[in-house]
Amino acid sequence: MKHRFVRFIAAGGMALVATVTAIAPSASASSSLTKVRFAYDFPWPDMELIPVIVAQKEGFFKDHGLKVSIVFPPTTSTTVQMLATKDTEVAMLSTSDLVVAVKAKVPVVSIANYSMKNNWGLFAMPGSKLSLATLKGKKVFSWGDTWTTAMLPFVLKKAGLTAKDITVVNGEADTPLLKSGKVDFVTNTTNYAIPGIGGKPVQIVGKAAGVPAVPVWVYATGSSYAKKHGKTVSAFMAAMKDATQWSIDNQGKAVRYFDKAFPQSGYTHVYNVQAWKLTVPLLKNKSGDFFVQTKTQWSTLAQAMVDVKQIDKAEKPSAYFTNKFLP
Amino acid sequence: MRLVSLSLYIERVELSPVLTLSNTEKTFGALPVVAPTSFSVERGSFVSIVGPSGCGKSTLFNMIAGLESPSGGSIELNGGDISGRTGHVGYMLQKDLLAPWRSVLGNITMGAHLTRGVTREDEERGAALARQYGLGEFLAHYPNALSGGMRQRVALMRTLMTDHELLLLDEPFGALDAQTRFEMQRWLLDVWHSTQRTVLFVTHDVDEAIFLSDRILVMSERPGRIVLDLTIDLPRPRRTAMLTDAAFMGAKRAILSLLHHELGE
Amino acid sequence: MRFRRNLLGSFLSFVVVVGVWQAIITFGHVAPYVAPTPLDAWRSIVENWSHLWPLTLTTVKETVFGFGAGAALGMGLGVLLSKRRFVQRVIYPILILSQAIPIIALAPPLVLVLGFGLTPKIVIVAWIVFFPVTVSVLDGLANVDRDLLMLARAYGASPWRTFLAIEVPSASSSLFSGLKIGATYAVTGAIIGELAASSGSSLAMFQHAQSAQLDAAGVYGTTLIMTAVGMGWFGLVALVEFFTTPWKRRSIARRAGRHI
Repeated sequence: MKHRFVRFIAAGGMALVATVTAIAPSASASSSLTKVRFAYDFPWPDMELIPVIVAQKEGFFKDHGLKVSIVFPPTTSTTVQMLATKDTEVAMLSTSDLVVAVKAKVPVVSIANYSMKNNWGLFAMPGSKLSLATLKGKKVFSWGDTWTTAMLPFVLKKAGLTAKDITVVNGEADTPLLKSGKVDFVTNTTNYAIPGIGGKPVQIVGKAAGVPAVPVWVYATGSSYAKKHGKTVSAFMAAMKDATQWSIDNQGKAVRYFDKAFPQSGYTHVYNVQAWKLTVPLLKNKSGDFFVQTKTQWSTLAQAMVDVKQIDKAEKPSAYFTNKFLP
Repeated sequence: MRLVSLSLYIERVELSPVLTLSNTEKTFGALPVVAPTSFSVERGSFVSIVGPSGCGKSTLFNMIAGLESPSGGSIELNGGDISGRTGHVGYMLQKDLLAPWRSVLGNITMGAHLTRGVTREDEERGAALARQYGLGEFLAHYPNALSGGMRQRVALMRTLMTDHELLLLDEPFGALDAQTRFEMQRWLLDVWHSTQRTVLFVTHDVDEAIFLSDRILVMSERPGRIVLDLTIDLPRPRRTAMLTDAAFMGAKRAILSLLHHELGE
Repeated sequence: MRFRRNLLGSFLSFVVVVGVWQAIITFGHVAPYVAPTPLDAWRSIVENWSHLWPLTLTTVKETVFGFGAGAALGMGLGVLLSKRRFVQRVIYPILILSQAIPIIALAPPLVLVLGFGLTPKIVIVAWIVFFPVTVSVLDGLANVDRDLLMLARAYGASPWRTFLAIEVPSASSSLFSGLKIGATYAVTGAIIGELAASSGSSLAMFQHAQSAQLDAAGVYGTTLIMTAVGMGWFGLVALVEFFTTPWKRRSIARRAGRHI
């Protein structure tokens, strides 16, 4: 559920053996540093990577005794498997991917929220008269991922519709379809959709969309790694806290770091600036804390996914997360 | 090059010619391949052409078959000009050119298949012909299942089926082993004799030419022209014993000396 | 006889593939969410059959039209290009260009133009299928025995009759090679088209969802279905070849001629 200008995905799950692209940090670290591989939730880099890039460039990882490299999965659903097969130590995931992973008995655990709010919803072209009231019979784009699959039924419920009332279009690129009028709505989070569509798109987001107030992305690690290398995981989160705060305080510089690290990401500087600006307010909870997860967020999400039959039963919240590695 | 006349050159009684070439020549660009050539082939006769490699024999054949137009002169078949026109003579090459996807009978009736569609009569005639000349058991065989000699028999049946009076056979046995070749020569004479066709035969093998022919035309090196027109005075039917006959040896000596002379020996 | 031996060979290779697969999972201690056993994949197909069947039919439909259009276009172009040298000089580079475009990059823009229905998938399948067919027809026609063509000319055959009686059967081996390559590619094209965008559901998107659900057995099961579609096409082409080219496997024709 991200915006992509160009997005190809290698055919389905055949690529279970991960073809990994590791990008070494530019700072030459001494061999005493603990090496950690961080898997992104997406095959291509985008601006939500900014805190990790900043931690590399500004030396936050080094300060905490780590040398972190970034690994991109061949497909969106491979990230979890890479944690389980110990191809990476930590990763970013969507919260729904983590719930599905626990259902599939993949030994992984969420260690922190990336963002705190549910900023997901439906978007239509600026100036269009579309709204929840006119959703019936419309074409809605979906990435076909676990998150969108979990959230879309809430939107339908809010609109008083069933799945048969709309046409869901699955595919590999959302904005071009929206701009060419092939679909009426795209589904995405605000920080990707708004700069992607441009102008002031029609938004049906969060509460207005009827979706539960749960975070979208988390940091996660393998259960056995958490057990054996707790200190490393804590060090990673401590570095990320410093780096995230720095990225908020120095937005311009932080975006430049990203631009420089991935000049061929397909995103313009202007897009990245706007997208990061929209991401910043999502990073802290009402008390001003980063990362802190709640039992309620996990039980709410798990129950929601039970309701839409993505999983059979909700585990107790502790099966999904732990806050013990937070700084 | 002068026309060599020898004691063996005996004027035959002039029968009505099937084929008459008058000053027929061929040049490719500035390169003369066949010098102006004139000869006739009498009805029912077996005439061979021998000559060094590259002397223009095949070009001569291609012109008679209509595949190439002469640069000068004329080619008449039964008094009508056939220069540059195909479909008037039977034509057979060293390669049997059988279609692997057609049965023996299918190949024998290939001419009809290529021109108007095969009828029941065509197939019955083809089958009768095949039975008559020892191919009766193989009508449904695909060519790949046949030996080289058998394949050439099929190719000759295909040529006969076209009903053309004149058959051009361009080294048809060139690729066969000596034993098969010998059998095929006698078989060909048998077919020729019983079908009353006129044969114009190209070969490298002087013995073969003498054994088969009524008359042998010897061609010079390129640009090819006829340097000897030799009548073979051996009785028919031909027998193996004739290979050592004085007349046979004399003809062979005359042809070979000319060929060797042509080759600069 | 040969046919039966081929069947036996296919069955043995199937056993080998499944055996190696099972061995890798068992001895490699591969977790079920990474890769399933053959039996689990099979079980997933059975369990999901009510979903998979209509989706498989859709994919088959895409390949039927796509392969049909691609093969027809490929043969037409192959003949045209071999008969008209000038056209070949102009068109051939364009054909190569068309295949140099990665189809996976072409799919999303095609969807933008043609929508989410059957059409873009058919176009993509045809796009992939036509090229090997064209090349094989060109090759086949270029390699017809020149002497055989000359012989046909000496018999006074028209170009059209020569084409039907000599060139088509001569080129058939080559043509079938191209068709077989195209047949195995057809399903790939259909899946790429489905991935690029489909309204409702498709085999590719169903697999995408299974993948998102970390349902490895489902992913492999659906892959097996896709593979079966591809192999079905290959088998069909091979079967047509088997029955239309008896001279390759028999030494004696069923009948000597058309009439007797």
